[in-house]
Amino acid sequence: MSTVESTLLSPELLAQLERLELVSRKIFRGQLKGERRSKRKGQSVEFADYRNYVAGDDLRFLDWNLYARLDRLFLKLFLEEEDLRFYALLDASSSMGFGDPTKFLYAKQLAAALGFVGLIRADRVKVETLGQPAGKPGPSWRGRASMWRMLKYLEDLEAQETVSLAEGVKNFCLRNRGQGIVVLISDLMDKDGYEAALRYLVSSRFDVYLIHLLSEEEVHPEITGDLCLVDCEDEDRAEITVSAPLLKRYQRTLSAFLDGAKEFSNRRGIHYIFARNQIPVDQLIQVYLRKRGLVR
Amino acid sequence: MISFWSWQWNSLLSWWQWGVLMALPPAVILLYFLKLKRQPLQVPSTYLWRKSIEDLHVNSLWQRLRQNLLLYLQLLLLGMLILALLGPSWNARRLLGDRFIFMVDASASMGSLDEEKTRLETAKQRVGELIDEMRSGDVAMIVSFSDQARIVQHFTDNRRLLKERLEAVGQTARPTSIDEALRAASGSANPGRTASDPSDVQVADALPATVYIFSDGKFEDVSGFSLGNLQPEYRPLGADDASNVGVVAFDARRNEEYPDQLQAFARLQNFGEEDRTVEVELYLDSTGGQPLDVKAVQVPAEGAAGVEFRLGNIEQGVLRLVAKTEDAFRLDDEAWAAVNPPRQGRVLLVTPGNEALQMALLTEDAEALADVSVAPPSILKDEQHQRDAAAGKYHLIIYDRCQPVVGDDPERPWEAMPEANTLFIGTVPPIAGWKSGDVVSVPQIIDTNRAHPLMHLVELGNVMIVEGTPLESPPGGTPLIDSTQGSLFSIAARGAHEDAVLGFEIVGQREGQTYVNTNWPLRLSFPVFVLNVLQYSGGGERSLATAHVQPGQTIPLLAGGSVERLNVRTPQGQTLEVPRNGIGGFTFSRTDTPGIYEVLEDDKLQYRFAVNLFSPNESDIRPRPENTIKIGYVEVEGKPATEAARAKAWKLFLGLALVVLLVEWYIYNRRVYL
Repeated sequence: MSTVESTLLSPELLAQLERLELVSRKIFRGQLKGERRSKRKGQSVEFADYRNYVAGDDLRFLDWNLYARLDRLFLKLFLEEEDLRFYALLDASSSMGFGDPTKFLYAKQLAAALGFVGLIRADRVKVETLGQPAGKPGPSWRGRASMWRMLKYLEDLEAQETVSLAEGVKNFCLRNRGQGIVVLISDLMDKDGYEAALRYLVSSRFDVYLIHLLSEEEVHPEITGDLCLVDCEDEDRAEITVSAPLLKRYQRTLSAFLDGAKEFSNRRGIHYIFARNQIPVDQLIQVYLRKRGLVR
Repeated sequence: MISFWSWQWNSLLSWWQWGVLMALPPAVILLYFLKLKRQPLQVPSTYLWRKSIEDLHVNSLWQRLRQNLLLYLQLLLLGMLILALLGPSWNARRLLGDRFIFMVDASASMGSLDEEKTRLETAKQRVGELIDEMRSGDVAMIVSFSDQARIVQHFTDNRRLLKERLEAVGQTARPTSIDEALRAASGSANPGRTASDPSDVQVADALPATVYIFSDGKFEDVSGFSLGNLQPEYRPLGADDASNVGVVAFDARRNEEYPDQLQAFARLQNFGEEDRTVEVELYLDSTGGQPLDVKAVQVPAEGAAGVEFRLGNIEQGVLRLVAKTEDAFRLDDEAWAAVNPPRQGRVLLVTPGNEALQMALLTEDAEALADVSVAPPSILKDEQHQRDAAAGKYHLIIYDRCQPVVGDDPERPWEAMPEANTLFIGTVPPIAGWKSGDVVSVPQIIDTNRAHPLMHLVELGNVMIVEGTPLESPPGGTPLIDSTQGSLFSIAARGAHEDAVLGFEIVGQREGQTYVNTNWPLRLSFPVFVLNVLQYSGGGERSLATAHVQPGQTIPLLAGGSVERLNVRTPQGQTLEVPRNGIGGFTFSRTDTPGIYEVLEDDKLQYRFAVNLFSPNESDIRPRPENTIKIGYVEVEGKPATEAARAKAWKLFLGLALVVLLVEWYIYNRRVYL
């Protein structure tokens, strides 16, 4: 158990996270021996399968009991336990800077928590933002001791990037080969659409979790009067006069937007999780992510 | 009545004020758009908003409307204020039909005050409201009625004229009778046509009309009247709790025992549910403003009470009785009685000699009534007498067994029946119509007409008649004594006068001998009869003998001599000239105002008479208990008095403006979205 404190992770949360581990439904090949089963059959204690002996195989894995019974050589295959690559991909566009707490802060908390879970389980944790240049990969950490560095890195991030969602994801995919879990935390508020971005991730064979994060102000806007809405990213202006039908229409548009993202994700095997910045991070992890199978 | 909204505007603003007012809405719009600057608000993304607005742009007109909600509310508020300033009023009802007859009761009881307004004023106001409700093309007629009907305005569609004429309907002190008014109305709706003559074609189409009767219902149900095309609507007036104490009789008389003492009697009636004590004051005109006597009278509920004043010796004057009732109906709280000096009638007895009659004419009472002169029958041929008689010198001429000279010489017009009442004894007037039959012996009297003033208190059961001649009177004559052989005493009118004919002699003369034809002079009834003759026909007046007249009634005036015209001074001080009427007498009909009327002859006061209401029917100002009137066989139910049909709406608009203001404030402050 850690006794450290951070603005991103409270001690209580850390205590809860200690018991969790990241789960991937896909089995990837790790680089180092970790605590997870790997696709590679190896030397762990967990039995995987038998296969016929061919010359050159390690004799240590021959099943002598079976040879005694059947007079044939079979090789025992064991699952190799490897480390898992965990990517937290944060949308650091200006739109994430809204809300109380800001969506970006919430995203950082979430990334820190999930990263922490990964670190304590000896997984390889990597936190990146969409604005990360294609040729310059972000740092990756492994082991509990790296927690501080990870937190420091996260705290230094700011939501002021202007790269589009699709561009950012494409760069990410180019930097990182498709191995491991990617948790994309974004509000998906990209006027060019989120579809291209998600397709990149899927085609890169990541185990993709999409945490669709919206602030309370976006879900239930409490504005009134004659307004000129200014888009913080592209300075686009929309003149509105708030009225009940407009609000109703907004709600309908919003739920269509959410449903669209969810459906798009589900069809492509992306785990879609909708989150509001009012849901506490620990609750989101303990309840929602656990339910979705990201942690256990 | 159909519910319908029709508006009228009565603005009080001048044109420049209107100009300023009308400039306000454009100014508000201008200011609104000048002021309209949308507040910038930075949001994470306009992505969702844009999509939402695009959807809403489909019905953008409505959206635009909605967007400027506050502006519209402001305009609405301004509109409401302008409407309020326009002074709007509306009709809650519309009249059904297109021909209306408004009957306004103007009788005495309509002068009752119901909450500071007389019933007539209320009625006129209601009629005015109905006139307002008329549509163009509708015609209406106004009839006012008391005991007589007056067509105030014939059918017209000119509403302004109708209203002007309506204002001319004045309060009268007359009793009520609706018959004449209904007939006047019926005349227009049911054009006359005789049932008996099939050749009498209907010349005009029957035009249905609605009759609105505004009355407190103080009249008898109308029987024997068919409404025909008239559709009656009864609008009762008067408060249910109205009560009244009124003077229903007031008279002054000589004390029977002491003729020089005057007594005044009054009778007060209480038309209410509570006992009342009323202070009654009696004034005499010669005593100035001081009351002669004051008495408190207890008048039981629904009952009457009398009060008597002993006045001592008053030769002449005007008595005025004031009942301090403080009730809604004032017209019956005052009553007048005239004390006139005694006036003798001029009576001429033309007789060859009739001791019994002359004796009867010399009684004290008779002398008080009449100045009797006696002349022999020879005077009848005297031209001077003929001229005097023709000029009306005498009030009564008694022809005992003689007749006046009646010729048809146009140059001697005075040879005619005298301008006086006559009593013929044993002869008949020498004019057409009167006939005496053959002499019959011992006719038995079987009946007398006691109702006639001449036979008042005359008992003839013990009277024997030796000979008599049954009488035939002209058409319209009334037999007063019937015998087994026919009428022995008849009376018939002749112009302004009356001829009474006694069909038997009292004393006769045969062969120079005087004989008695009847024992009547020995009976008590004879001097009574003679007194009746002097009172009824003799033109004499004991003091106070003037009859009371109700407002509107016609009263015959008595002329002292052969004057051509009399003057009457009304209570208002107006002097009216009364010429001789077609039949030689004087009649006065403009007795509309209660009070004392003075009859003047050559500007010399002859006598006074009093006009008093004295009508229990009018004094009972409570509305009809059953709230219906019956006209012929039709029962017309009274429609309850409704609120003013023309409602002023400025308060409503002001209230609405206030509501709009509140809504605006609420929307502005409370994030109410439409």
